[in-house]
Amino acid sequence: MAERSMRRRMKPSGGYELFMWFFMRYSGLALVFLAVGHLFIMHILNNVETINYAFVANRWTAPRTGWIWRLWDVSLISLAVIHGFNGLRQVLYEYLSAGGRIIAGTITWTLTLIFIGGGGYSILMFQADEKFIKDHPLKIERTVEPAAIPPAALDGSARIDVRC
Amino acid sequence: MSQTLHAPQPYQSGRLARIIDGLRYGGGVGQWSWLAYRLSGLGILFFLVIHITDTFFVVFAPDWYDHTVAIYGGVWFNGQYYWPLRWAFRVGELGLIAAVVFHAVNGVGVILYDLWPRGSLYKKSITWTVQVVFWTIMLISTPIVLYPLRKAPDDQVKSPAHAGSSVEPALISPSR
Repeated sequence: MAERSMRRRMKPSGGYELFMWFFMRYSGLALVFLAVGHLFIMHILNNVETINYAFVANRWTAPRTGWIWRLWDVSLISLAVIHGFNGLRQVLYEYLSAGGRIIAGTITWTLTLIFIGGGGYSILMFQADEKFIKDHPLKIERTVEPAAIPPAALDGSARIDVRC
Repeated sequence: MSQTLHAPQPYQSGRLARIIDGLRYGGGVGQWSWLAYRLSGLGILFFLVIHITDTFFVVFAPDWYDHTVAIYGGVWFNGQYYWPLRWAFRVGELGLIAAVVFHAVNGVGVILYDLWPRGSLYKKSITWTVQVVFWTIMLISTPIVLYPLRKAPDDQVKSPAHAGSSVEPALISPSR
Protein backbone atom coordinates (compact mmCIF):
# COMPACT_ATOMS: atom_id res chain seq x y z
CA MET A 1 0.00 0.00 0.00
CA ALA A 2 2.77 2.36 0.93
CA GLU A 3 4.50 1.41 -2.26
CA ARG A 4 1.47 2.38 -4.32
CA SER A 5 1.00 5.68 -2.52
CA MET A 6 4.66 6.51 -3.00
CA ARG A 7 4.38 5.75 -6.67
CA ARG A 8 1.33 8.00 -7.09
CA ARG A 9 3.02 10.97 -5.50
CA MET A 10 6.22 10.58 -7.39
CA LYS A 11 7.35 13.34 -9.69
CA PRO A 12 7.86 12.21 -13.32
CA SER A 13 11.53 11.81 -14.10
CA GLY A 14 11.62 13.89 -17.24
CA GLY A 15 10.35 14.76 -20.68
CA TYR A 16 6.72 15.39 -21.56
CA GLU A 17 5.24 14.08 -18.28
CA LEU A 18 7.59 16.24 -16.19
CA PHE A 19 6.73 19.27 -18.30
CA MET A 20 3.00 18.62 -17.74
CA TRP A 21 3.65 18.06 -14.02
CA PHE A 22 5.09 21.56 -13.79
CA PHE A 23 2.41 22.95 -16.11
CA MET A 24 -0.36 21.62 -13.82
CA ARG A 25 1.16 23.39 -10.82
CA TYR A 26 1.93 26.77 -12.42
CA SER A 27 -1.30 26.94 -14.43
CA GLY A 28 -3.15 25.91 -11.26
CA LEU A 29 -1.64 28.87 -9.46
CA ALA A 30 -2.78 31.23 -12.25
CA LEU A 31 -6.23 29.60 -12.33
CA VAL A 32 -6.74 30.21 -8.60
CA PHE A 33 -6.75 33.90 -9.52
CA LEU A 34 -8.47 33.66 -12.94
CA ALA A 35 -11.16 31.05 -12.24
CA VAL A 36 -12.01 31.99 -8.65
CA GLY A 37 -12.03 35.66 -9.71
CA HIS A 38 -14.38 34.84 -12.60
CA LEU A 39 -16.71 32.95 -10.24
CA PHE A 40 -16.63 35.82 -7.74
CA ILE A 41 -17.54 38.37 -10.42
CA MET A 42 -20.30 36.28 -11.99
CA HIS A 43 -21.91 34.61 -8.98
CA ILE A 44 -21.26 36.96 -6.05
CA LEU A 45 -20.94 40.49 -7.49
CA ASN A 46 -23.45 39.67 -10.24
CA ASN A 47 -26.09 37.01 -10.48
CA VAL A 48 -26.85 34.45 -13.20
CA GLU A 49 -30.34 35.91 -13.46
CA THR A 50 -29.10 39.31 -14.63
CA ILE A 51 -26.48 37.95 -17.04
CA ASN A 52 -27.67 38.02 -20.64
CA TYR A 53 -26.37 38.86 -24.11
CA ALA A 54 -26.39 42.60 -23.38
CA PHE A 55 -24.29 42.00 -20.26
CA VAL A 56 -21.69 40.05 -22.25
CA ALA A 57 -21.66 42.73 -24.95
CA ASN A 58 -21.19 45.53 -22.39
CA ARG A 59 -18.35 43.59 -20.80
CA TRP A 60 -16.41 42.66 -23.93
CA THR A 61 -16.95 45.83 -25.99
CA ALA A 62 -16.56 48.45 -23.25
CA PRO A 63 -14.30 51.11 -24.81
CA ARG A 64 -11.62 51.19 -22.12
CA THR A 65 -11.94 47.92 -20.19
CA GLY A 66 -13.23 45.52 -22.85
CA TRP A 67 -9.81 44.23 -23.88
CA ILE A 68 -8.92 43.45 -20.25
CA TRP A 69 -11.96 41.17 -19.90
CA ARG A 70 -11.31 39.51 -23.26
CA LEU A 71 -7.67 38.92 -22.28
CA TRP A 72 -8.80 37.56 -18.90
CA ASP A 73 -11.33 35.20 -20.51
CA VAL A 74 -8.95 33.95 -23.23
CA SER A 75 -6.25 33.22 -20.63
CA LEU A 76 -8.81 31.53 -18.40
CA ILE A 77 -10.17 29.35 -21.20
CA SER A 78 -6.76 28.33 -22.56
CA LEU A 79 -5.25 27.43 -19.20
CA ALA A 80 -8.43 25.80 -17.86
CA VAL A 81 -9.00 23.65 -20.95
CA ILE A 82 -5.40 22.38 -21.05
CA HIS A 83 -5.34 21.89 -17.27
CA GLY A 84 -8.72 20.09 -17.30
CA PHE A 85 -8.13 17.77 -20.24
CA ASN A 86 -4.60 17.00 -19.06
CA GLY A 87 -6.08 16.05 -15.69
CA LEU A 88 -8.60 13.79 -17.44
CA ARG A 89 -5.74 12.27 -19.45
CA GLN A 90 -3.78 11.55 -16.28
CA VAL A 91 -6.82 9.91 -14.67
CA LEU A 92 -7.46 7.80 -17.79
CA TYR A 93 -3.79 6.76 -18.02
CA GLU A 94 -4.07 5.11 -14.62
CA TYR A 95 -6.66 2.69 -15.99
CA LEU A 96 -5.31 2.06 -19.49
CA SER A 97 -2.67 -0.05 -21.10
CA ALA A 98 -0.13 1.38 -23.56
CA GLY A 99 -2.47 1.14 -26.57
CA GLY A 100 -5.38 2.72 -24.70
CA ARG A 101 -3.13 5.53 -23.51
CA ILE A 102 -2.31 6.51 -27.08
CA ILE A 103 -6.03 6.70 -27.92
CA ALA A 104 -6.88 8.58 -24.70
CA GLY A 105 -4.00 11.02 -25.21
CA THR A 106 -5.02 11.70 -28.81
CA ILE A 107 -8.68 12.25 -27.89
CA THR A 108 -7.98 14.57 -24.94
CA TRP A 109 -5.47 16.69 -26.89
CA THR A 110 -7.87 16.93 -29.85
CA LEU A 111 -10.68 18.07 -27.55
CA THR A 112 -8.27 20.56 -25.95
CA LEU A 113 -7.57 22.17 -29.33
CA ILE A 114 -11.28 22.17 -30.30
CA PHE A 115 -12.42 23.87 -27.08
CA ILE A 116 -9.59 26.43 -27.00
CA GLY A 117 -10.33 27.22 -30.66
CA GLY A 118 -14.09 27.51 -30.16
CA GLY A 119 -13.83 29.42 -26.89
CA GLY A 120 -11.12 31.73 -28.20
CA TYR A 121 -13.12 32.36 -31.36
CA SER A 122 -16.23 33.41 -29.44
CA ILE A 123 -14.24 35.77 -27.19
CA LEU A 124 -11.95 37.39 -29.77
CA MET A 125 -14.33 37.47 -32.75
CA PHE A 126 -17.31 38.77 -30.76
CA GLN A 127 -19.10 41.77 -32.25
CA ALA A 128 -22.12 43.23 -30.49
CA ASP A 129 -25.48 42.85 -32.24
CA GLU A 130 -26.83 46.36 -31.57
CA LYS A 131 -30.36 45.63 -32.75
CA PHE A 132 -30.66 42.60 -30.48
CA ILE A 133 -29.37 44.62 -27.50
CA LYS A 134 -32.00 47.33 -28.15
CA ASP A 135 -34.73 44.68 -28.00
CA HIS A 136 -33.20 42.78 -25.07
CA PRO A 137 -31.40 45.32 -22.85
CA LEU A 138 -29.42 44.86 -19.64
CA LYS A 139 -31.32 43.50 -16.66
CA ILE A 140 -30.43 45.90 -13.87
CA GLU A 141 -31.18 44.54 -10.42
CA ARG A 142 -34.13 46.35 -8.89
CA THR A 143 -32.18 47.07 -5.74
CA VAL A 144 -30.56 49.90 -7.72
CA GLU A 145 -32.37 53.24 -7.42
CA PRO A 146 -34.24 53.80 -10.72
CA ALA A 147 -32.83 57.35 -10.93
CA ALA A 148 -29.31 55.94 -10.71
CA ILE A 149 -29.73 53.87 -13.87
CA PRO A 150 -28.52 55.81 -16.92
CA PRO A 151 -31.23 55.81 -19.60
CA ALA A 152 -28.65 54.60 -22.11
CA ALA A 153 -28.35 51.39 -20.11
CA LEU A 154 -32.02 50.61 -20.44
CA ASP A 155 -32.50 51.21 -24.16
CA GLY A 156 -29.15 49.68 -25.00
CA SER A 157 -27.95 52.69 -27.01
CA ALA A 158 -24.61 52.98 -25.21
CA ARG A 159 -22.12 50.84 -23.33
CA ILE A 160 -22.04 51.25 -19.58
CA ASP A 161 -19.72 49.73 -17.03
CA VAL A 162 -21.47 46.64 -15.80
CA ARG A 163 -20.24 45.35 -12.48
CA CYS A 164 -17.44 43.28 -13.82
CA MET B 1 -3.58 -28.37 8.95
CA SER B 2 -1.22 -25.75 7.80
CA GLN B 3 -2.20 -22.31 6.71
CA THR B 4 -1.23 -21.54 3.17
CA LEU B 5 0.29 -18.16 2.70
CA HIS B 6 -0.73 -16.60 -0.55
CA ALA B 7 1.52 -14.18 -2.28
CA PRO B 8 -0.15 -10.74 -2.56
CA GLN B 9 -2.33 -10.75 -5.65
CA PRO B 10 -1.89 -7.91 -8.11
CA TYR B 11 -5.06 -5.84 -7.89
CA GLN B 12 -5.40 -5.57 -11.63
CA SER B 13 -7.57 -8.49 -12.63
CA GLY B 14 -10.72 -7.25 -14.27
CA ARG B 15 -11.85 -3.77 -15.20
CA LEU B 16 -14.05 -3.21 -12.11
CA ALA B 17 -11.24 -4.18 -9.75
CA ARG B 18 -8.94 -1.75 -11.53
CA ILE B 19 -11.47 1.06 -11.25
CA ILE B 20 -11.97 0.36 -7.52
CA ASP B 21 -8.20 0.20 -7.14
CA GLY B 22 -7.96 3.53 -8.92
CA LEU B 23 -10.20 5.11 -6.27
CA ARG B 24 -7.66 4.20 -3.58
CA TYR B 25 -4.81 6.54 -2.85
CA GLY B 26 -3.26 4.60 -0.05
CA GLY B 27 -5.53 5.51 2.83
CA GLY B 28 -4.77 7.93 5.64
CA VAL B 29 -5.49 11.63 5.89
CA GLY B 30 -5.04 12.25 2.19
CA GLN B 31 -7.55 9.63 0.99
CA TRP B 32 -10.74 11.69 1.06
CA SER B 33 -9.23 14.97 -0.04
CA TRP B 34 -7.47 13.12 -2.87
CA LEU B 35 -10.80 11.61 -4.00
CA ALA B 36 -12.67 14.93 -3.64
CA TYR B 37 -9.84 16.68 -5.51
CA ARG B 38 -10.08 14.23 -8.41
CA LEU B 39 -13.90 14.21 -8.59
CA SER B 40 -14.14 18.03 -8.31
CA GLY B 41 -11.60 18.34 -11.12
CA LEU B 42 -13.57 16.04 -13.42
CA GLY B 43 -16.84 17.80 -12.50
CA ILE B 44 -15.37 21.24 -13.28
CA LEU B 45 -14.11 19.95 -16.65
CA PHE B 46 -17.64 18.68 -17.43
CA PHE B 47 -19.09 22.11 -16.59
CA LEU B 48 -16.33 23.90 -18.53
CA VAL B 49 -17.21 21.99 -21.71
CA ILE B 50 -20.90 22.96 -21.35
CA HIS B 51 -20.01 26.56 -20.49
CA ILE B 52 -17.70 27.05 -23.51
CA THR B 53 -20.43 25.60 -25.74
CA ASP B 54 -23.19 27.87 -24.42
CA THR B 55 -20.93 30.94 -24.59
CA PHE B 56 -20.15 30.07 -28.22
CA PHE B 57 -23.79 31.03 -28.97
CA VAL B 58 -22.94 34.74 -28.42
CA VAL B 59 -21.14 34.95 -31.76
CA PHE B 60 -23.88 33.55 -33.99
CA ALA B 61 -27.18 33.31 -32.09
CA PRO B 62 -27.76 35.93 -29.36
CA ASP B 63 -31.31 34.66 -28.79
CA TRP B 64 -30.06 31.11 -28.17
CA TYR B 65 -27.65 32.56 -25.61
CA ASP B 66 -30.38 34.47 -23.80
CA HIS B 67 -32.72 31.46 -23.80
CA THR B 68 -29.96 29.20 -22.44
CA VAL B 69 -28.94 31.57 -19.66
CA ALA B 70 -32.60 32.17 -18.78
CA ILE B 71 -32.93 28.44 -17.95
CA TYR B 72 -30.41 28.97 -15.13
CA GLY B 73 -32.89 31.49 -13.71
CA GLY B 74 -35.80 29.04 -13.98
CA VAL B 75 -37.34 30.30 -17.25
CA TRP B 76 -37.96 27.42 -19.67
CA PHE B 77 -37.88 27.78 -23.47
CA ASN B 78 -41.64 28.47 -23.53
CA GLY B 79 -41.08 31.60 -21.39
CA GLN B 80 -42.76 30.03 -18.38
CA TYR B 81 -41.09 30.43 -14.99
CA TYR B 82 -40.74 27.26 -12.90
CA TRP B 83 -39.39 27.80 -9.40
CA PRO B 84 -38.10 24.20 -8.90
CA LEU B 85 -35.96 24.67 -12.02
CA ARG B 86 -34.49 27.86 -10.61
CA TRP B 87 -33.90 26.23 -7.19
CA ALA B 88 -32.21 23.22 -8.82
CA PHE B 89 -29.84 25.46 -10.78
CA ARG B 90 -29.05 27.53 -7.66
CA VAL B 91 -28.07 24.39 -5.77
CA GLY B 92 -26.03 23.26 -8.78
CA GLU B 93 -24.36 26.69 -8.86
CA LEU B 94 -23.43 26.28 -5.21
CA GLY B 95 -22.03 22.83 -6.05
CA LEU B 96 -19.94 24.37 -8.83
CA ILE B 97 -18.61 27.05 -6.48
CA ALA B 98 -17.80 24.39 -3.87
CA ALA B 99 -16.00 22.25 -6.48
CA VAL B 100 -13.93 25.16 -7.82
CA VAL B 101 -13.07 26.54 -4.38
CA PHE B 102 -12.11 23.11 -3.03
CA HIS B 103 -10.04 22.26 -6.11
CA ALA B 104 -8.31 25.67 -5.89
CA VAL B 105 -7.56 25.59 -2.17
CA ASN B 106 -6.48 21.95 -2.16
CA GLY B 107 -4.44 22.65 -5.29
CA VAL B 108 -2.54 25.39 -3.48
CA GLY B 109 -1.91 22.82 -0.76
CA VAL B 110 -0.53 20.35 -3.31
CA ILE B 111 1.68 23.07 -4.81
CA LEU B 112 3.04 23.95 -1.36
CA TYR B 113 3.70 20.28 -0.67
CA ASP B 114 5.39 19.66 -4.03
CA LEU B 115 7.27 22.89 -4.79
CA TRP B 116 8.06 24.41 -1.39
CA PRO B 117 11.20 22.66 -0.12
CA ARG B 118 9.88 22.48 3.45
CA GLY B 119 6.35 21.57 2.32
CA SER B 120 6.56 17.89 3.19
CA LEU B 121 7.35 18.77 6.81
CA TYR B 122 3.97 20.52 7.10
CA LYS B 123 1.71 17.94 5.43
CA LYS B 124 -0.73 17.74 8.36
CA SER B 125 -0.92 21.52 8.81
CA ILE B 126 -1.52 21.96 5.07
CA THR B 127 -4.38 19.43 5.15
CA TRP B 128 -6.07 21.19 8.07
CA THR B 129 -5.53 24.68 6.66
CA VAL B 130 -7.13 23.57 3.38
CA GLN B 131 -10.20 22.39 5.30
CA VAL B 132 -10.49 25.60 7.35
CA VAL B 133 -10.07 27.91 4.34
CA PHE B 134 -12.53 25.89 2.20
CA TRP B 135 -15.28 25.82 4.84
CA THR B 136 -14.79 29.51 5.68
CA ILE B 137 -15.25 30.52 2.04
CA MET B 138 -18.30 28.24 1.66
CA LEU B 139 -19.92 29.51 4.88
CA ILE B 140 -19.67 33.08 3.54
CA SER B 141 -20.75 32.41 -0.04
CA THR B 142 -23.62 29.94 0.59
CA PRO B 143 -26.02 32.58 2.03
CA ILE B 144 -25.08 35.06 -0.71
CA VAL B 145 -25.89 32.54 -3.46
CA LEU B 146 -29.10 31.24 -1.84
CA TYR B 147 -30.44 34.64 -0.65
CA PRO B 148 -32.17 35.60 -3.96
CA LEU B 149 -34.31 32.44 -3.70
CA ARG B 150 -36.35 34.07 -0.93
CA LYS B 151 -38.61 35.60 -3.60
CA ALA B 152 -39.42 35.18 -7.26
CA PRO B 153 -37.36 37.28 -9.71
CA ASP B 154 -38.78 40.78 -10.18
CA ASP B 155 -39.83 40.19 -13.77
CA GLN B 156 -41.74 37.04 -12.76
CA VAL B 157 -43.78 38.62 -9.96
CA LYS B 158 -47.46 39.03 -10.82
CA SER B 159 -47.97 42.76 -11.09
CA PRO B 160 -51.35 44.42 -10.35
CA ALA B 161 -51.65 45.38 -14.00
CA HIS B 162 -51.88 41.72 -14.90
CA ALA B 163 -54.24 40.80 -12.06
CA GLY B 164 -57.31 40.68 -14.27
CA SER B 165 -55.52 39.16 -17.21
CA SER B 166 -56.69 35.83 -18.50
CA VAL B 167 -53.06 34.82 -19.00
CA GLU B 168 -52.01 32.25 -16.42
CA PRO B 169 -49.47 33.94 -14.12
CA ALA B 170 -46.06 32.36 -13.83
CA LEU B 171 -45.52 29.95 -10.98
CA ILE B 172 -44.23 31.82 -7.98
CA SER B 173 -41.87 30.47 -5.37
CA PRO B 174 -43.82 29.26 -2.30
CA SER B 175 -41.46 31.11 0.00
CA ARG B 176 -43.06 34.39 -0.98
